[in-house]
Amino acid sequence: MFTVTVHTTGAGELVVRLPQQRVTAEAGTEDKGPSPIAPELKELAWGAGSFIVLFVLMRVVLFPRVKNGMQARYGKIRDDHESADAMRAAARGEVAAYEQELAGVRAEAAQRIQAVRDIIEAERAIAIGVANERISASRADANAVNEAAKAAAAPHIKEAVADVSGRAAELATGRKPDAAMVNSVVTSLIGAGQ
Amino acid sequence: MEAMSYIIAAVPGVPSNDAALKTANAAIGAGFAYGLAAIGPGIGIGYVVGKAIEAMARQPEAAGMVRTTMFLGIAFTEALALIGFVVFILLGL
Amino acid sequence: MLGLTFPPINELIRWRDIFTSFNKVGLIAVLAALIGIAIFLIAGRKDPLKAPTGVRNLAETGVEFIEDQIVMQTMGKDGLPWTPFLLSLFIFIYLCNLPGIIPIFQMPATARMAIPLFLALVVWVVYNAVGLKHNGFKYITAMAWPTSVPIGMRPLVGVIELLSNIVLRPFSLAVRLFANMLAGHMLLITFAFLSNAMFTAHTKQFFLRPMGVLPLFMLVFLTAFEVLVGFLQAYIFTILTAVFINSARHIEH
Repeated sequence: MFTVTVHTTGAGELVVRLPQQRVTAEAGTEDKGPSPIAPELKELAWGAGSFIVLFVLMRVVLFPRVKNGMQARYGKIRDDHESADAMRAAARGEVAAYEQELAGVRAEAAQRIQAVRDIIEAERAIAIGVANERISASRADANAVNEAAKAAAAPHIKEAVADVSGRAAELATGRKPDAAMVNSVVTSLIGAGQ
Repeated sequence: MEAMSYIIAAVPGVPSNDAALKTANAAIGAGFAYGLAAIGPGIGIGYVVGKAIEAMARQPEAAGMVRTTMFLGIAFTEALALIGFVVFILLGL
Repeated sequence: MLGLTFPPINELIRWRDIFTSFNKVGLIAVLAALIGIAIFLIAGRKDPLKAPTGVRNLAETGVEFIEDQIVMQTMGKDGLPWTPFLLSLFIFIYLCNLPGIIPIFQMPATARMAIPLFLALVVWVVYNAVGLKHNGFKYITAMAWPTSVPIGMRPLVGVIELLSNIVLRPFSLAVRLFANMLAGHMLLITFAFLSNAMFTAHTKQFFLRPMGVLPLFMLVFLTAFEVLVGFLQAYIFTILTAVFINSARHIEH
Protein backbone atom coordinates (compact mmCIF):
# COMPACT_ATOMS: atom_id res chain seq x y z
CA MET A 1 0.00 0.00 0.00
CA PHE A 2 2.82 2.36 0.83
CA THR A 3 5.19 1.63 -2.03
CA VAL A 4 6.35 4.17 -4.49
CA THR A 5 6.05 3.04 -8.06
CA VAL A 6 8.93 4.82 -9.69
CA HIS A 7 11.22 3.06 -12.13
CA THR A 8 14.32 4.21 -13.87
CA THR A 9 14.89 3.30 -17.47
CA GLY A 10 18.53 4.27 -17.68
CA ALA A 11 20.04 7.72 -18.27
CA GLY A 12 18.26 9.05 -15.14
CA GLU A 13 14.88 9.02 -16.84
CA LEU A 14 11.96 8.07 -14.67
CA VAL A 15 8.81 6.24 -15.58
CA VAL A 16 6.01 6.64 -13.13
CA ARG A 17 3.41 4.01 -12.69
CA LEU A 18 0.23 5.91 -12.08
CA PRO A 19 -2.29 5.50 -9.30
CA GLN A 20 -5.19 4.78 -11.61
CA GLN A 21 -3.63 1.55 -12.71
CA ARG A 22 -3.30 0.42 -9.14
CA VAL A 23 -6.81 1.43 -8.27
CA THR A 24 -8.25 -0.47 -11.19
CA ALA A 25 -6.14 -3.42 -10.21
CA GLU A 26 -7.46 -3.28 -6.66
CA ALA A 27 -11.04 -2.61 -7.67
CA GLY A 28 -11.42 -6.28 -8.36
CA THR A 29 -10.59 -7.29 -4.79
CA GLU A 30 -13.60 -7.45 -2.52
CA ASP A 31 -12.43 -5.51 0.60
CA LYS A 32 -12.27 -1.82 -0.24
CA GLY A 33 -12.71 -0.79 3.38
CA PRO A 34 -15.60 0.97 5.03
CA SER A 35 -17.05 4.33 4.01
CA PRO A 36 -15.09 7.05 5.80
CA ILE A 37 -18.22 8.90 6.86
CA ALA A 38 -21.11 6.50 7.32
CA PRO A 39 -21.21 5.09 10.86
CA GLU A 40 -20.86 1.36 11.17
CA LEU A 41 -23.34 -0.52 13.27
CA LYS A 42 -20.78 -2.71 15.05
CA GLU A 43 -18.64 0.25 16.08
CA LEU A 44 -21.77 2.13 17.16
CA ALA A 45 -22.83 -0.80 19.30
CA TRP A 46 -19.44 -1.30 20.94
CA GLY A 47 -18.94 2.42 21.53
CA ALA A 48 -22.44 2.88 22.91
CA GLY A 49 -22.11 -0.14 25.16
CA SER A 50 -18.76 1.01 26.55
CA PHE A 51 -19.95 4.54 27.16
CA ILE A 52 -23.16 3.45 28.85
CA VAL A 53 -21.27 1.06 31.14
CA LEU A 54 -18.76 3.78 31.98
CA PHE A 55 -21.46 6.36 32.63
CA VAL A 56 -23.65 4.12 34.76
CA LEU A 57 -20.74 2.93 36.89
CA MET A 58 -19.44 6.49 37.20
CA ARG A 59 -22.85 7.79 38.22
CA VAL A 60 -23.69 5.03 40.67
CA VAL A 61 -20.42 3.97 42.26
CA LEU A 62 -17.18 5.53 41.12
CA PHE A 63 -17.85 9.26 41.17
CA PRO A 64 -19.68 9.40 44.54
CA ARG A 65 -16.90 7.44 46.18
CA VAL A 66 -14.11 9.69 44.91
CA LYS A 67 -16.16 12.83 45.51
CA ASN A 68 -17.07 11.79 49.07
CA GLY A 69 -13.42 11.04 49.73
CA MET A 70 -12.45 14.48 48.46
CA GLN A 71 -15.13 16.17 50.52
CA ALA A 72 -14.11 14.20 53.60
CA ARG A 73 -10.53 15.29 53.13
CA TYR A 74 -11.47 18.90 52.53
CA GLY A 75 -13.68 18.76 55.62
CA LYS A 76 -10.83 17.30 57.63
CA ILE A 77 -8.44 19.94 56.32
CA ARG A 78 -10.94 22.65 57.23
CA ASP A 79 -11.41 21.17 60.70
CA ASP A 80 -7.67 20.93 61.14
CA HIS A 81 -7.38 24.56 60.13
CA GLU A 82 -10.06 25.55 62.59
CA SER A 83 -8.50 23.60 65.43
CA ALA A 84 -5.11 25.07 64.55
CA ASP A 85 -6.66 28.54 64.64
CA ALA A 86 -8.26 27.82 67.99
CA MET A 87 -4.98 26.48 69.34
CA ARG A 88 -3.17 29.52 68.07
CA ALA A 89 -5.70 31.82 69.73
CA ALA A 90 -5.35 29.92 73.02
CA ALA A 91 -1.58 30.13 72.82
CA ARG A 92 -1.82 33.86 72.16
CA GLY A 93 -4.03 34.24 75.28
CA GLU A 94 -1.52 32.35 77.36
CA VAL A 95 1.31 34.48 76.10
CA ALA A 96 -0.66 37.63 76.91
CA ALA A 97 -1.42 36.40 80.45
CA TYR A 98 2.21 35.51 80.99
CA GLU A 99 3.31 38.91 79.76
CA GLN A 100 0.85 40.61 82.09
CA GLU A 101 2.19 38.63 85.02
CA LEU A 102 5.71 39.45 83.98
CA ALA A 103 4.86 43.15 83.86
CA GLY A 104 3.37 42.97 87.39
CA VAL A 105 6.48 41.26 88.71
CA ARG A 106 8.67 43.79 87.01
CA ALA A 107 6.74 46.70 88.48
CA GLU A 108 7.02 45.18 91.96
CA ALA A 109 10.73 44.65 91.55
CA ALA A 110 11.14 48.24 90.43
CA GLN A 111 9.18 49.39 93.47
CA ARG A 112 11.38 47.44 95.80
CA ILE A 113 14.52 48.68 94.17
CA GLN A 114 13.18 52.22 94.48
CA ALA A 115 12.48 51.75 98.19
CA VAL A 116 15.93 50.36 98.83
CA ARG A 117 17.42 53.19 96.84
CA ASP A 118 15.51 55.74 98.87
CA ILE A 119 16.78 54.24 102.11
CA ILE A 120 20.33 54.25 100.84
CA GLU A 121 19.89 57.82 99.68
CA ALA A 122 18.71 58.94 103.10
CA GLU A 123 21.54 57.11 104.85
CA ARG A 124 24.02 58.64 102.53
CA ALA A 125 22.62 62.11 103.16
CA ILE A 126 22.97 61.54 106.89
CA ALA A 127 26.49 60.23 106.52
CA ILE A 128 27.43 63.16 104.32
CA GLY A 129 25.98 65.57 106.86
CA VAL A 130 28.00 63.97 109.65
CA ALA A 131 31.13 63.99 107.57
CA ASN A 132 30.59 67.63 106.58
CA GLU A 133 30.12 68.61 110.21
CA ARG A 134 33.29 66.82 111.16
CA ILE A 135 35.18 68.44 108.32
CA SER A 136 33.91 71.92 109.16
CA ALA A 137 34.76 71.44 112.84
CA SER A 138 38.30 70.36 112.09
CA ARG A 139 38.60 73.18 109.57
CA ALA A 140 37.50 75.67 112.27
CA ASP A 141 40.03 74.21 114.68
CA ALA A 142 42.80 74.48 112.13
CA ASN A 143 41.74 78.04 111.36
CA ALA A 144 41.84 78.92 115.03
CA VAL A 145 45.34 77.46 115.40
CA ASN A 146 46.41 79.29 112.29
CA GLU A 147 45.00 82.58 113.51
CA ALA A 148 46.65 82.15 116.87
CA ALA A 149 50.00 81.42 115.26
CA LYS A 150 49.64 84.46 113.02
CA ALA A 151 48.70 86.66 115.92
CA ALA A 152 51.67 85.33 117.89
CA ALA A 153 54.08 85.93 114.98
CA ALA A 154 52.88 89.43 114.04
CA PRO A 155 54.72 91.50 116.82
CA HIS A 156 57.97 89.63 116.06
CA ILE A 157 57.67 90.40 112.36
CA LYS A 158 56.83 94.02 113.06
CA GLU A 159 59.78 94.36 115.44
CA ALA A 160 62.17 92.71 112.98
CA VAL A 161 60.96 94.83 110.07
CA ALA A 162 61.19 98.01 112.20
CA ASP A 163 64.67 97.02 113.24
CA VAL A 164 65.79 96.28 109.68
CA SER A 165 64.23 99.41 108.23
CA GLY A 166 65.63 101.60 111.07
CA ARG A 167 69.05 100.18 110.41
CA ALA A 168 68.67 100.73 106.67
CA ALA A 169 67.60 104.33 107.19
CA GLU A 170 70.53 104.89 109.56
CA LEU A 171 73.01 103.56 107.01
CA ALA A 172 71.44 105.66 104.26
CA THR A 173 71.18 108.91 106.11
CA GLY A 174 73.89 108.51 108.79
CA ARG A 175 71.39 109.38 111.47
CA LYS A 176 69.34 107.16 113.71
CA PRO A 177 65.65 107.69 112.95
CA ASP A 178 63.03 108.00 115.55
CA ALA A 179 61.95 104.54 116.70
CA ALA A 180 58.35 105.48 117.32
CA MET A 181 57.98 106.94 113.83
CA VAL A 182 59.57 103.87 112.22
CA ASN A 183 57.22 101.66 114.18
CA SER A 184 54.12 103.61 113.12
CA VAL A 185 55.23 103.56 109.44
CA VAL A 186 55.90 99.79 109.52
CA THR A 187 52.59 99.12 111.24
CA SER A 188 50.70 101.20 108.63
CA LEU A 189 52.54 99.46 105.73
CA ILE A 190 51.94 95.98 107.07
CA GLY A 191 48.36 96.90 107.70
CA ALA A 192 48.11 98.15 104.07
CA GLY A 193 49.86 95.00 102.80
CA GLN A 194 47.53 92.73 104.60
CA MET B 1 -11.09 23.65 -13.12
CA GLU B 2 -12.25 21.70 -16.05
CA ALA B 3 -9.25 22.86 -18.00
CA MET B 4 -7.03 21.33 -15.36
CA SER B 5 -8.80 18.05 -15.63
CA TYR B 6 -8.19 18.11 -19.38
CA ILE B 7 -4.55 18.79 -18.76
CA ILE B 8 -4.41 15.83 -16.41
CA ALA B 9 -6.21 13.73 -18.96
CA ALA B 10 -3.60 14.74 -21.53
CA VAL B 11 -0.78 13.28 -19.43
CA PRO B 12 0.42 10.10 -21.15
CA GLY B 13 -0.56 6.98 -19.33
CA VAL B 14 -3.77 8.36 -17.86
CA PRO B 15 -6.79 6.62 -19.27
CA SER B 16 -8.82 9.38 -20.87
CA ASN B 17 -12.28 7.96 -20.73
CA ASP B 18 -15.28 9.65 -19.12
CA ALA B 19 -14.99 7.84 -15.82
CA ALA B 20 -11.41 8.92 -15.36
CA LEU B 21 -12.35 12.47 -16.28
CA LYS B 22 -15.09 12.40 -13.68
CA THR B 23 -12.69 11.14 -11.04
CA ALA B 24 -10.24 13.86 -11.89
CA ASN B 25 -12.98 16.49 -11.71
CA ALA B 26 -14.12 15.17 -8.35
CA ALA B 27 -10.59 15.21 -6.96
CA ILE B 28 -10.05 18.78 -8.07
CA GLY B 29 -13.47 19.80 -6.78
CA ALA B 30 -12.71 18.20 -3.44
CA GLY B 31 -9.43 20.08 -3.18
CA PHE B 32 -11.10 23.38 -3.94
CA ALA B 33 -13.97 22.62 -1.56
CA TYR B 34 -11.68 22.19 1.38
CA GLY B 35 -9.40 25.05 0.41
CA LEU B 36 -12.30 27.48 0.10
CA ALA B 37 -13.96 26.20 3.25
CA ALA B 38 -10.80 26.88 5.23
CA ILE B 39 -10.49 30.57 4.33
CA GLY B 40 -13.41 31.95 6.31
CA PRO B 41 -12.87 29.97 9.49
CA GLY B 42 -9.16 30.74 9.30
CA ILE B 43 -9.83 34.46 9.38
CA GLY B 44 -12.57 33.97 11.94
CA ILE B 45 -10.42 31.99 14.37
CA GLY B 46 -7.69 34.56 13.95
CA TYR B 47 -10.12 37.29 15.01
CA VAL B 48 -11.46 35.28 17.93
CA VAL B 49 -8.05 34.43 19.34
CA GLY B 50 -6.64 37.91 18.70
CA LYS B 51 -9.51 39.61 20.50
CA ALA B 52 -9.34 37.08 23.32
CA ILE B 53 -5.63 37.79 23.84
CA GLU B 54 -6.36 41.51 23.80
CA ALA B 55 -9.01 41.02 26.46
CA MET B 56 -6.71 38.84 28.57
CA ALA B 57 -3.92 41.40 28.33
CA ARG B 58 -6.27 44.17 29.47
CA GLN B 59 -7.84 42.19 32.25
CA PRO B 60 -5.61 39.32 33.32
CA GLU B 61 -7.94 38.52 36.24
CA ALA B 62 -10.72 37.61 33.77
CA ALA B 63 -8.41 35.31 31.77
CA GLY B 64 -10.20 32.08 32.76
CA MET B 65 -13.59 33.28 31.60
CA VAL B 66 -12.16 34.74 28.41
CA ARG B 67 -10.35 31.50 27.63
CA THR B 68 -13.50 29.42 28.02
CA THR B 69 -15.46 31.75 25.79
CA MET B 70 -12.60 31.79 23.30
CA PHE B 71 -12.68 28.00 23.00
CA LEU B 72 -16.43 28.09 22.49
CA GLY B 73 -16.03 30.70 19.75
CA ILE B 74 -13.28 28.68 18.11
CA ALA B 75 -15.44 25.56 18.24
CA PHE B 76 -18.35 27.28 16.51
CA THR B 77 -16.16 28.95 13.91
CA GLU B 78 -14.20 25.81 13.19
CA ALA B 79 -17.37 23.81 12.47
CA LEU B 80 -17.58 25.42 9.02
CA ALA B 81 -14.08 24.33 8.06
CA LEU B 82 -14.83 20.83 9.26
CA ILE B 83 -17.98 20.64 7.18
CA GLY B 84 -15.76 21.57 4.27
CA PHE B 85 -13.48 18.69 5.25
CA VAL B 86 -16.40 16.28 5.27
CA VAL B 87 -17.46 17.51 1.86
CA PHE B 88 -13.89 16.93 0.72
CA ILE B 89 -14.10 13.31 1.79
CA LEU B 90 -17.55 12.88 0.25
CA LEU B 91 -16.39 14.27 -3.09
CA GLY B 92 -13.28 12.13 -3.03
CA LEU B 93 -15.27 8.91 -2.64
CA MET C 1 9.13 13.49 -10.95
CA LEU C 2 8.16 11.31 -8.04
CA GLY C 3 4.96 9.36 -8.27
CA LEU C 4 3.19 8.88 -4.99
CA THR C 5 0.25 6.56 -4.64
CA PHE C 6 -1.67 7.94 -1.74
CA PRO C 7 -4.10 5.24 -0.66
CA PRO C 8 -7.81 6.05 -0.68
CA ILE C 9 -9.27 7.09 2.65
CA ASN C 10 -11.30 3.88 2.85
CA GLU C 11 -8.11 1.88 3.12
CA LEU C 12 -6.68 4.05 5.89
CA ILE C 13 -9.50 3.22 8.25
CA ARG C 14 -10.00 -0.41 7.31
CA TRP C 15 -9.37 -2.75 10.20
CA ARG C 16 -9.78 -6.48 10.25
CA ASP C 17 -12.29 -7.88 12.70
CA ILE C 18 -10.57 -9.33 15.74
CA PHE C 19 -13.55 -11.59 16.12
CA THR C 20 -17.00 -11.28 14.63
CA SER C 21 -18.07 -7.63 14.50
CA PHE C 22 -15.35 -6.52 16.91
CA ASN C 23 -12.61 -4.46 15.29
CA LYS C 24 -9.95 -2.03 16.47
CA VAL C 25 -12.38 0.83 16.98
CA GLY C 26 -14.56 -1.33 19.19
CA LEU C 27 -11.47 -2.50 21.07
CA ILE C 28 -10.36 1.09 21.68
CA ALA C 29 -13.82 2.08 22.89
CA VAL C 30 -13.96 -0.87 25.28
CA LEU C 31 -10.43 -0.17 26.52
CA ALA C 32 -11.27 3.51 27.04
CA ALA C 33 -14.25 2.60 29.21
CA LEU C 34 -12.24 -0.03 31.10
CA ILE C 35 -9.31 2.30 31.76
CA GLY C 36 -11.67 5.03 32.97
CA ILE C 37 -13.40 2.59 35.28
CA ALA C 38 -10.08 1.18 36.50
CA ILE C 39 -8.67 4.63 37.34
CA PHE C 40 -11.69 5.54 39.41
CA LEU C 41 -11.89 2.11 41.03
CA ILE C 42 -8.29 2.27 42.18
CA ALA C 43 -8.72 5.89 43.21
CA GLY C 44 -11.80 5.01 45.24
CA ARG C 45 -9.96 2.25 47.09
CA LYS C 46 -7.26 4.53 48.47
CA ASP C 47 -7.54 6.23 51.83
CA PRO C 48 -9.22 9.55 51.02
CA LEU C 49 -7.93 11.36 54.11
CA LYS C 50 -4.28 11.21 53.09
CA ALA C 51 -2.79 13.54 50.52
CA PRO C 52 -3.74 12.12 47.08
CA THR C 53 -0.93 10.47 45.12
CA GLY C 54 -0.70 8.58 41.86
CA VAL C 55 -3.98 7.30 40.47
CA ARG C 56 -6.11 9.03 43.06
CA ASN C 57 -4.41 12.31 42.23
CA LEU C 58 -5.21 11.74 38.55
CA ALA C 59 -8.87 11.01 39.26
CA GLU C 60 -9.21 14.01 41.55
CA THR C 61 -7.52 16.27 39.01
CA GLY C 62 -10.09 15.10 36.46
CA VAL C 63 -12.99 15.76 38.81
CA GLU C 64 -11.69 19.20 39.72
CA PHE C 65 -11.02 20.05 36.09
CA ILE C 66 -14.62 19.24 35.17
CA GLU C 67 -15.98 21.10 38.18
CA ASP C 68 -13.86 24.23 37.99
CA GLN C 69 -13.18 24.62 34.29
CA ILE C 70 -16.39 23.35 32.76
CA VAL C 71 -19.32 23.27 35.18
CA MET C 72 -18.55 26.42 37.18
CA GLN C 73 -17.62 28.37 34.05
CA THR C 74 -20.79 27.57 32.13
CA MET C 75 -23.55 26.38 34.46
CA GLY C 76 -22.65 27.77 37.86
CA LYS C 77 -23.14 26.09 41.20
CA ASP C 78 -26.49 24.45 40.43
CA GLY C 79 -24.91 22.55 37.53
CA LEU C 80 -22.68 20.50 39.84
CA PRO C 81 -24.98 17.41 39.77
CA TRP C 82 -24.08 17.14 36.09
CA THR C 83 -20.42 16.48 36.92
CA PRO C 84 -20.56 12.64 36.63
CA PHE C 85 -22.15 12.82 33.19
CA LEU C 86 -19.69 15.41 31.90
CA LEU C 87 -16.80 13.57 33.55
CA SER C 88 -17.64 10.28 31.85
CA LEU C 89 -18.10 12.09 28.54
CA PHE C 90 -14.73 13.77 28.89
CA ILE C 91 -12.87 10.64 29.97
CA PHE C 92 -14.44 8.50 27.27
CA ILE C 93 -13.74 10.97 24.46
CA TYR C 94 -10.22 11.72 25.66
CA LEU C 95 -9.31 8.06 25.97
CA CYS C 96 -10.82 7.39 22.55
CA ASN C 97 -8.80 10.26 21.04
CA LEU C 98 -5.53 9.31 22.66
CA PRO C 99 -4.85 6.05 20.72
CA GLY C 100 -4.41 8.23 17.62
CA ILE C 101 -0.86 8.90 18.78
CA ILE C 102 -0.11 5.74 20.75
CA PRO C 103 2.01 3.32 18.76
CA ILE C 104 0.39 -0.01 17.86
CA PHE C 105 -3.07 1.56 18.04
CA GLN C 106 -2.39 4.59 15.80
CA MET C 107 -6.09 5.20 15.35
CA PRO C 108 -8.43 7.46 17.28
CA ALA C 109 -11.71 5.65 17.82
CA THR C 110 -13.50 8.98 17.34
CA ALA C 111 -12.14 9.20 13.79
CA ARG C 112 -15.02 6.92 12.84
CA MET C 113 -18.46 8.48 12.75
CA ALA C 114 -20.09 5.90 15.04
CA ILE C 115 -18.90 7.06 18.47
CA PRO C 116 -19.21 10.83 17.91
CA LEU C 117 -22.66 10.29 16.43
CA PHE C 118 -23.78 8.22 19.37
CA LEU C 119 -22.40 10.70 21.92
CA ALA C 120 -23.97 13.65 20.08
CA LEU C 121 -27.33 11.86 20.06
CA VAL C 122 -27.02 11.20 23.79
CA VAL C 123 -26.26 14.87 24.39
CA TRP C 124 -29.15 15.89 22.13
CA VAL C 125 -31.60 13.68 24.04
CA VAL C 126 -30.24 14.90 27.38
CA TYR C 127 -30.46 18.63 26.73
CA ASN C 128 -33.87 18.47 25.10
CA ALA C 129 -35.17 16.33 27.95
CA VAL C 130 -33.75 18.82 30.45
CA GLY C 131 -35.38 21.70 28.59
CA LEU C 132 -38.78 19.98 28.50
CA LYS C 133 -38.52 18.94 32.14
CA HIS C 134 -37.56 22.40 33.40
CA ASN C 135 -39.77 24.53 31.20
CA GLY C 136 -42.49 22.21 29.96
CA PHE C 137 -44.03 22.99 26.60
CA LYS C 138 -42.80 26.58 26.93
CA TYR C 139 -39.39 25.21 25.94
CA ILE C 140 -40.55 24.70 22.36
CA THR C 141 -42.73 27.81 22.11
CA ALA C 142 -40.00 30.04 23.47
CA MET C 143 -37.65 28.58 20.88
CA ALA C 144 -40.07 28.98 17.95
CA TRP C 145 -41.38 32.42 18.98
CA PRO C 146 -38.53 34.22 20.84
CA THR C 147 -39.97 37.22 22.69
CA SER C 148 -36.61 38.91 23.18
CA VAL C 149 -36.26 39.97 19.53
CA PRO C 150 -38.34 42.54 17.59
CA ILE C 151 -41.63 41.13 16.35
CA GLY C 152 -40.71 41.32 12.68
CA MET C 153 -37.68 39.13 13.23
CA ARG C 154 -39.43 36.49 15.30
CA PRO C 155 -40.44 34.02 12.57
CA LEU C 156 -36.96 34.08 11.08
CA VAL C 157 -35.12 33.81 14.39
CA GLY C 158 -37.60 31.17 15.53
CA VAL C 159 -36.90 28.98 12.52
CA ILE C 160 -33.16 29.44 12.97
CA GLU C 161 -33.42 28.61 16.65
CA LEU C 162 -35.48 25.50 16.03
CA LEU C 163 -33.13 24.31 13.32
CA SER C 164 -30.12 25.06 15.47
CA ASN C 165 -31.50 23.18 18.46
CA ILE C 166 -32.88 20.19 16.68
CA VAL C 167 -30.51 19.63 13.78
CA LEU C 168 -27.43 21.80 13.78
CA ARG C 169 -26.22 21.42 17.34
CA PRO C 170 -25.97 17.62 17.42
CA PHE C 171 -24.75 17.55 13.84
CA SER C 172 -21.97 20.06 14.43
CA LEU C 173 -21.10 18.39 17.73
CA ALA C 174 -20.65 15.02 16.05
CA VAL C 175 -18.97 16.34 12.94
CA ARG C 176 -16.57 18.55 14.88
CA LEU C 177 -15.19 15.68 16.88
CA PHE C 178 -15.19 13.19 14.02
CA ALA C 179 -13.69 15.51 11.40
CA ASN C 180 -11.01 16.85 13.74
CA MET C 181 -9.82 13.40 14.67
CA LEU C 182 -10.02 12.02 11.13
CA ALA C 183 -8.15 15.05 9.79
CA GLY C 184 -5.46 14.61 12.43
CA HIS C 185 -5.20 10.92 11.61
CA MET C 186 -4.87 11.65 7.89
CA LEU C 187 -2.31 14.36 8.54
CA LEU C 188 -0.14 11.93 10.49
CA ILE C 189 -0.56 9.29 7.79
CA THR C 190 0.35 11.77 5.06
CA PHE C 191 3.65 12.68 6.63
CA ALA C 192 4.48 9.14 7.69
CA PHE C 193 3.74 8.00 4.16
CA LEU C 194 5.77 10.79 2.59
CA SER C 195 8.74 10.11 4.82
CA ASN C 196 8.59 6.39 4.11
CA ALA C 197 8.29 6.99 0.38
CA MET C 198 11.32 9.26 0.35
CA PHE C 199 13.46 6.86 2.36
CA THR C 200 12.66 3.93 0.09
CA ALA C 201 12.59 5.77 -3.25
CA HIS C 202 14.34 4.02 -6.16
CA THR C 203 16.04 7.05 -7.57
CA LYS C 204 19.44 8.17 -8.71
CA GLN C 205 18.95 11.60 -7.16
CA PHE C 206 21.07 10.94 -4.12
CA PHE C 207 19.81 13.91 -2.07
CA LEU C 208 16.22 12.73 -2.15
CA ARG C 209 16.56 9.91 0.34
CA PRO C 210 18.14 11.81 3.25
CA MET C 211 15.58 14.53 2.73
CA GLY C 212 13.04 12.05 4.03
CA VAL C 213 13.90 13.24 7.55
CA LEU C 214 12.10 16.52 6.89
CA PRO C 215 8.63 14.96 6.75
CA LEU C 216 9.71 12.85 9.70
CA PHE C 217 10.38 16.00 11.76
CA MET C 218 7.01 17.32 10.69
CA LEU C 219 5.50 14.02 11.79
CA VAL C 220 7.01 14.36 15.26
CA PHE C 221 5.77 17.92 15.54
CA LEU C 222 2.29 16.95 14.35
CA THR C 223 2.16 14.08 16.82
CA ALA C 224 2.74 16.58 19.62
CA PHE C 225 0.07 18.75 18.04
CA GLU C 226 -2.34 15.82 18.02
CA VAL C 227 -1.87 15.38 21.77
CA LEU C 228 -3.17 18.91 22.15
CA VAL C 229 -5.98 18.40 19.65
CA GLY C 230 -7.14 15.22 21.33
CA PHE C 231 -7.41 16.98 24.66
CA LEU C 232 -8.96 20.11 23.17
CA GLN C 233 -11.66 18.22 21.30
CA ALA C 234 -12.66 16.28 24.42
CA TYR C 235 -12.75 19.57 26.33
CA ILE C 236 -14.78 21.35 23.66
CA PHE C 237 -17.28 18.52 23.35
CA THR C 238 -17.78 18.49 27.10
CA ILE C 239 -18.02 22.25 27.50
CA LEU C 240 -20.48 22.51 24.60
CA THR C 241 -22.61 19.84 26.26
CA ALA C 242 -22.58 21.91 29.44
CA VAL C 243 -23.50 25.05 27.50
CA PHE C 244 -26.37 23.30 25.70
CA ILE C 245 -27.76 21.87 28.92
CA ASN C 246 -27.52 25.25 30.59
CA SER C 247 -29.22 27.07 27.71
CA ALA C 248 -32.00 24.47 27.74
CA ARG C 249 -32.59 25.08 31.44
CA HIS C 250 -32.71 28.87 31.19
CA ILE C 251 -34.63 29.67 28.03
CA GLU C 252 -35.07 33.36 28.84
CA HIS C 253 -31.78 34.43 27.32
